[in-house]
Amino acid sequence: MKKLLALSIASVFCAAAFANAPVGKPAPAFAVTDLTGKPVNLADYKGKTVVLEWHNFGCPFVQKHYRSGNMQALQKKYANDVVWLAVNSTNKGHSDWEEAPKLTGQLKDFGAQPARYLVDEPGRMGLAYGAKTTPHMYIIDPSGTVVYNGAIDDKRSTDVADVKLAKNYVVAALDELKAGKPVSTATTAPYGCTVKYR
Amino acid sequence: MYRTTILLLAGLVTGAGLGTHAFAAPLVKTEHVEAELVTEKTSAQPGKPATVGLKLRMAEHWHTYWKNPGDSGLPTRIQWVLPEGWKAGEIQWPYPVRLPIGPLMNYGYEDEVVLLSDLTPPADAKPGDYTVKAKAEWLVCKDVCIPEKGDLDMVLAVAAAEPASNPRFQAHIERSRNMLPGAAPGWKFDAALLGGSLVLRLTPPAGASAPRAITFFPDRELLIEPAAPQKITRDGSGVRIEMKLADPPPTGLQSVSGVAVSDAGWPAMPRKAIALEAPITASLGAVAGSTDPGSLASADGIGGSALAALAFALLGGMLLNLMPCVFPVLGIKVMGFVEHAHGDARAMRLQGWIFAGGVLLSFLLLAGLMLLLRAGGAQLGWGFQLQSPTVVVLLATLFLLLALNLSGVFEWGAFAQSLTSNVSARGRYADAFLAGVLASVVATPCTAPFMGAAVGFTLTQSAPLSMAVFGALGAGMALPVLLLAHFPALLKRLPRPGAWMETFKQVLAFPLYATVAWLAWVLGAQSGNDAILALLAGLLLVAMGAWMYGRWEHAPGLWRAVVATLLAATGLAVAWPGSSTAAVTGAAAAREGELAWQEWSPEKVAALNAAGRVVFVDFTAAWCVTCQVNKRVSLHNSAVVKEFAARGVVPLKADWTRQDPRITAALAELGRNAVPVYAIYLPGESAPRLLPEVLTPSLVLAELGRLPAASPATAITQR
Repeated sequence: MKKLLALSIASVFCAAAFANAPVGKPAPAFAVTDLTGKPVNLADYKGKTVVLEWHNFGCPFVQKHYRSGNMQALQKKYANDVVWLAVNSTNKGHSDWEEAPKLTGQLKDFGAQPARYLVDEPGRMGLAYGAKTTPHMYIIDPSGTVVYNGAIDDKRSTDVADVKLAKNYVVAALDELKAGKPVSTATTAPYGCTVKYR
Repeated sequence: MYRTTILLLAGLVTGAGLGTHAFAAPLVKTEHVEAELVTEKTSAQPGKPATVGLKLRMAEHWHTYWKNPGDSGLPTRIQWVLPEGWKAGEIQWPYPVRLPIGPLMNYGYEDEVVLLSDLTPPADAKPGDYTVKAKAEWLVCKDVCIPEKGDLDMVLAVAAAEPASNPRFQAHIERSRNMLPGAAPGWKFDAALLGGSLVLRLTPPAGASAPRAITFFPDRELLIEPAAPQKITRDGSGVRIEMKLADPPPTGLQSVSGVAVSDAGWPAMPRKAIALEAPITASLGAVAGSTDPGSLASADGIGGSALAALAFALLGGMLLNLMPCVFPVLGIKVMGFVEHAHGDARAMRLQGWIFAGGVLLSFLLLAGLMLLLRAGGAQLGWGFQLQSPTVVVLLATLFLLLALNLSGVFEWGAFAQSLTSNVSARGRYADAFLAGVLASVVATPCTAPFMGAAVGFTLTQSAPLSMAVFGALGAGMALPVLLLAHFPALLKRLPRPGAWMETFKQVLAFPLYATVAWLAWVLGAQSGNDAILALLAGLLLVAMGAWMYGRWEHAPGLWRAVVATLLAATGLAVAWPGSSTAAVTGAAAAREGELAWQEWSPEKVAALNAAGRVVFVDFTAAWCVTCQVNKRVSLHNSAVVKEFAARGVVPLKADWTRQDPRITAALAELGRNAVPVYAIYLPGESAPRLLPEVLTPSLVLAELGRLPAASPATAITQR
């Protein structure tokens, strides 16, 4: 009997490895470095709205939003209102891993303008947030509470043409926040490539 | 870096060019997939659906996705371009497999999949060859994902005659059709949201039994965590599948639907997958008439094996005989056998069985009472008896009397003698039965702390199984005596009856005195210092009564019995826990080298977590010996205390010594209903980390070492 219980306890441990940042709960703290090697803490942005965008240029779903100019436009549009943090949790051994200089060049070529680009190489931040796909979007309000967790929009495809037809959940949420309203669609199923964890 | 989709359409020639018979459709090769349209029959009849399929052959280790792709990915899409008047049905999805990707899980297909659809020519379709086209899009992934697409076409003949089967693809389509989820006539499905879990119950029709290994694939996303293990437990002839709910769980859920797959198949059904829809009910227990479903324990690993549970219970019952509270009673019983070893073998066997009956009946009564109280909504776990100060006082008194008797202070009097005298055979049987009951009653304080967690597990099962486990526990306890009764030869190994027996008996009194001391401490934890004083004063009076009763054993008249009874009654009245059982709560000042425990509340856990603090909760009770040993040995170990301080872990104590519905509810949320339970709540982790119920300092240190670094702002550090 004890053995059975021990087994069941063990299975609970396994399940706990992958955490989550559900809407309504405090956003998990993180301390990582950005592409330039500077440290970035969630605590640095206390009192500000923070957008997290899980990113990987190797992923066709991410490409859709950059080739269409969609993501860069949002980064620019909300530059004054929010702190936009792109997060890359790709592991070093994966073929999608890019060294900082090359990645910096690609970001420049695309005109991407996240406030910071975070390198989460061991993937701990991604696991703490339960980031599943690229892209996977989170919005954290000034009090540090997660207010949106999910997809960028409602068109689950890699087709650039779909961007125009889609309802963008992040835009809707940010606009509601700006108007002082609660976020009406706060949790959606993220879509995209699997985050390339170790 | 771009991954370009390469469409090798070189071989794309219209089917017409290949001949009049349509079933040879062109193959579309992409980087990782070979796609083609296939038909089941060589022709279609006007107005009747014909089954066709999109056959995708993936490169080794690459996969495409099911309609619910799991954590990531995209289902394959088919857009049909058909001749005028034709209709196409939805994709019929074969059941998928689980495809783990690091910490995530996808649902999809490897090697080959044939996605079936029905195409229906209009009723007035003229015989002849028709070209049907499909624009298919699929995401194919290994460690990277490539969106691919193919423009496929095929010539399908329409003819009035009964179509012949297409030998080339018949087997592929047949295989795919066998993988479609079938209906499950006679089965019942229901589901409940319990804590952070979705529990799905599959109940077979009478006479059938559910398979042991089942995987559930929900139709919708954001219902469960796809990567979390699914736990299977038996529920009568049916089965429960417990799955981790998505966080936050979906709201307004009326039912869950999906596909249940058993590789071993289903009774009386040809297919391995069934489609099911299960209404959400408030609790599964209400439907089955079983016990509290709020505490469905995980039982991963037992695979629903009730037999294993019964075997463990039997073993546990046997071990109970060695407990300090049970052993003396048993010792007396065995010595009775020694005295009569050369007596009537048949009578002795019968005595053994009656003793076993007494044990079994008591266990079942106690278990039944608990199940009944729980069904009535009482928040009880095993060991509940000891949460009542009254029971503790009664047990302390009983143990003291037993101990005094063993010490030789008094002998049971006329009343007991008529029952226990060895003169009449009838008296001997009554004696055996009472001994069985007594052994069970005195066993309860021992079962609670040692077997509590294990027995708690059974409460999550159906009522009959729970009762069976308690029965097995009783049977295990009775087994040694039963063996002795059947094989008196074993007794011959013991020394001959003699003076040693009296000494042995007196020695046996001491474990009982120890039990009294422990019960006094339990009462103190429940009702405070004053209660201990009252108990000891009362026990003193009881002891005086017993002494008088024994001292003037041969005095004539009734006065001896009357005075002794009066004294004992007064003693009980003194010891009786008053109404002012103000519990001693609140944390006493932490002593040097001990953890500074704070009182637990769910709000406190949430508040501390929100402030970025890691919280360690000790679900404990004074009457739980395992809890006390763990605390002394492992938690108040100096290295552990230091590590708690260094990591800023806040220790909270949830004390279940007395009834506390909040703690019972919190335990149920963790799938438990007994203590000890040790849980570490981390900021940002929805589920706490649980420690085993038996701790060692190194185990606790290792678990603390797995925590993220100390201060909240650096909870996640870059390597």
